[in-house]
Amino acid sequence: MAMALELLGVSKAFDGFQALAKANFAVEAGEVHALLGENGAGKSTLMNVAAGLYRPDQGRIRVRGREVDITGPVEARSLGIGMVHQHYKLVKAFNAVENILLAQGAARYGTGLAEVEAAIRAQGEAVGFAVDLKRPVGSLSVAEQQRVEILKVLVAGAGILILDEPTAVLTDREAEALLVTMRALARQGAAIVLVTHKLGEVQRHADRVTVMRGGRIVASADPASLSAAELTTLVVGATTPQERQPAIRIGGAVLSLQGLVGARSDGLRTLNGLTLTIRSGEIYGIAGVGGNGQTELAEILMGVRRAQDGRIVLAGDDVTETGPKPRRARGLAAIPADRQAYALAGDLSLAENYAVGGLASGRFGGWLRVDRAAIRARTEAAIAAFDIRGARSTRQKASLLSGGNAQKLVIAREFADSPRLVLAHSPARGLDVRATADIHRRLREARDAGAGVLLISEDLDEVMFMSDRIGVMSRGTIVGEFETPADRQAIGAAMVHHA
Amino acid sequence: MPEALPVPLLSAAPEPPRRGRLTVEIRQHATGWHQGLVLAGGLALGMALATAILLACGVGLSDLIQEFVVSVVSSPASLSAVLIQAAPLAIVGLAAAVAFRVRFWNIGIEGQMILGAVAATAVAIHDVGPAPLRLVLMMLVAALAGMAWVLAPALLKIRLGLNEVISTLLLNYVAFNGLLHLLYGAWRDPASSFPNSEQYEAAERLGELGWENLTWALPLAGLLTVLCWWLLNVSRFGFLSRVAEANPRLGEGQGLPMTRVMLAAALLSGGLAGIAGFSICAGVEYRMTQSFFSGYGFSGILIAFLARNNPLGAFVTAILVGVLFVAGQSLQVFYGIPGAMVQLIQAVIVISVAASDFFVRHRVRWVSGRRSDV
Repeated sequence: MAMALELLGVSKAFDGFQALAKANFAVEAGEVHALLGENGAGKSTLMNVAAGLYRPDQGRIRVRGREVDITGPVEARSLGIGMVHQHYKLVKAFNAVENILLAQGAARYGTGLAEVEAAIRAQGEAVGFAVDLKRPVGSLSVAEQQRVEILKVLVAGAGILILDEPTAVLTDREAEALLVTMRALARQGAAIVLVTHKLGEVQRHADRVTVMRGGRIVASADPASLSAAELTTLVVGATTPQERQPAIRIGGAVLSLQGLVGARSDGLRTLNGLTLTIRSGEIYGIAGVGGNGQTELAEILMGVRRAQDGRIVLAGDDVTETGPKPRRARGLAAIPADRQAYALAGDLSLAENYAVGGLASGRFGGWLRVDRAAIRARTEAAIAAFDIRGARSTRQKASLLSGGNAQKLVIAREFADSPRLVLAHSPARGLDVRATADIHRRLREARDAGAGVLLISEDLDEVMFMSDRIGVMSRGTIVGEFETPADRQAIGAAMVHHA
Repeated sequence: MPEALPVPLLSAAPEPPRRGRLTVEIRQHATGWHQGLVLAGGLALGMALATAILLACGVGLSDLIQEFVVSVVSSPASLSAVLIQAAPLAIVGLAAAVAFRVRFWNIGIEGQMILGAVAATAVAIHDVGPAPLRLVLMMLVAALAGMAWVLAPALLKIRLGLNEVISTLLLNYVAFNGLLHLLYGAWRDPASSFPNSEQYEAAERLGELGWENLTWALPLAGLLTVLCWWLLNVSRFGFLSRVAEANPRLGEGQGLPMTRVMLAAALLSGGLAGIAGFSICAGVEYRMTQSFFSGYGFSGILIAFLARNNPLGAFVTAILVGVLFVAGQSLQVFYGIPGAMVQLIQAVIVISVAASDFFVRHRVRWVSGRRSDV
């Protein structure tokens, strides 16, 4: 039978950057087809071509064997192509029914809300989605919002479903449920494209996998015929060995938190007397379900949020009452979870983002004059040393870097002054295999150079893999500490029992 | 579960065209040269449109060239009129640019001009200080008064998050009514009993340069332009202000003094506005009138916007706005073009320049319709 969707020889360039180079992709009805690749490999770009958001410079598109010209999202929708984007396209103040009606286009605005609601309810029951249709979408959980997005494209009549990194924001259980639902839809004749960089999902849930690298298709195969190592090689080009490397030399305490109490901006108390000590030369991992005070802990450590009670002793000095500046002077480096908030300014150039770190030290000139040549030279050196890709000029905006490279820029800046304490909050979230390995290597290097590292992560695998000591955080306090190698079951139990 | 998913209509699928088309892309980086070229193109387009409008109104092409180009370049009187107009415009342009640089939307430039002029006039009326230092003193108190007028909105924004657009705007009315109170009361000119201050004495006027009737207001504007350029583009303060503009939380996390930078920029903006008020009273009118500030607030915002908050650009833009002003006046007087038409022309030119920004941030590219071989 004819393929549901075929993209043939598709090329696309952005301001001289070749995002797609003659990419071929085909998905047939009834299959779950994984599109695998690193961040920036071109997966989303290719699927955005199919969804009508980008028009290819070259290439052809066939839907059910018929050549088509997709000039925009409306044409894509009329051809039965529906895409669920990584960042949901929902009006937060609208409820699910209103959002879905909005996406139907002006032709359906005459339809009564009750009819639309009935259609949505039927569709939701058919695929086993329980969603509150009446509440504003903004008040729904991330998983529920995603279901609204999926219902939106299903109600629009999509037989070709493209999901861009659908599990990135879901818990393991939610992700599993979603992929099972997608399998069910495929059995009913839908063509499902699963854009992902997670090997496990591909191996467990896909009928077929197409691997992209650098805008090109490098392979298309049955995932059962490939081992995890083979898939990894296809994705990154070469295998990256993953072996735990324990601490070499552990020294004295660099950070000691005593009875730390803190609250969110809305007044909710999220840190309840947290106490821990980090020594130089070790990685202390904090495991725990998100929302148990990790964010407030990181902000209080950085000095951008005040502790309500307790003491912070950094490199021998009490810094509880100080702001970020004296803490940084004592050797604090921070890799915050939300890069857009405390780590980077997307509208500033790479050089400016790099230079904000060393500005106070005077190495980039005094008050009267900023030494642009020194900034450029240092930034160029950092780009080379930290292997930051996609940087064509130090004057380029930071927002144009992919997630992994943006994180490398942050690390290059934060590690410029050989830190004594590194705070790393979900440093590898959303990054691909290679970038994650790079960032983990940098953290280990900092540790081996004598820094204490506090790694806060919701990814238990990451904590287990990286840490020399593990603390489980729940309800704003450390409920258990484990020496590594630790028992994964015991840590999991500690996380859950206190939650 | 239903038997099958809804099957969409395929008949609506359009035939693929074989021709090429234009695409619009976001430009990753634009050089200074490119920006200048695009800006000049926008200006040329605006001039062309304005010319077309004026031709349609019956003004001859040669007359237009005479008014806008020849007389500005060749007639010293016109040129000096343009430059006299441009000096305070440049200073209010700087005032706006400095504030906008840290996203402090100072709509209260006119109020701060009034406070500056009131302070300077107080010094002039009461003959404070020795005569040779009188002007310097007037300028200093004008700057301090302008700063004082913006201090409350700046602190309210920083401490309480109060919207400075509202607070600075409303303080304009407070300042204006305070001005009227003075001019209709204690400071009414005893010589003419008109509602303006008494004339400044010679020591209280910005001296003439000796060419036409240009005064020291122009070199003052030039000096302030260079100082602001250094501050925003060379000094560390300029770097910090860019961080404060793009993402103050980044600077905060790095321990950089973001709130102090914002406060300093707001105060500087108010101080410059105060000096602008002083420069009009002491350099053009030689007294404080009840409308000396009128229109300068929005002209300053416009100039800062067109100059992309660049001080040197603000100075050049102020001269161009001065040309529009002066040529517009003579069009009204000598050709009977209605005032609204002059405003229309000014608006067309401004919009053309503003819209050219699209080509700085985007690029338009032709994609050939050639299909690839599969």
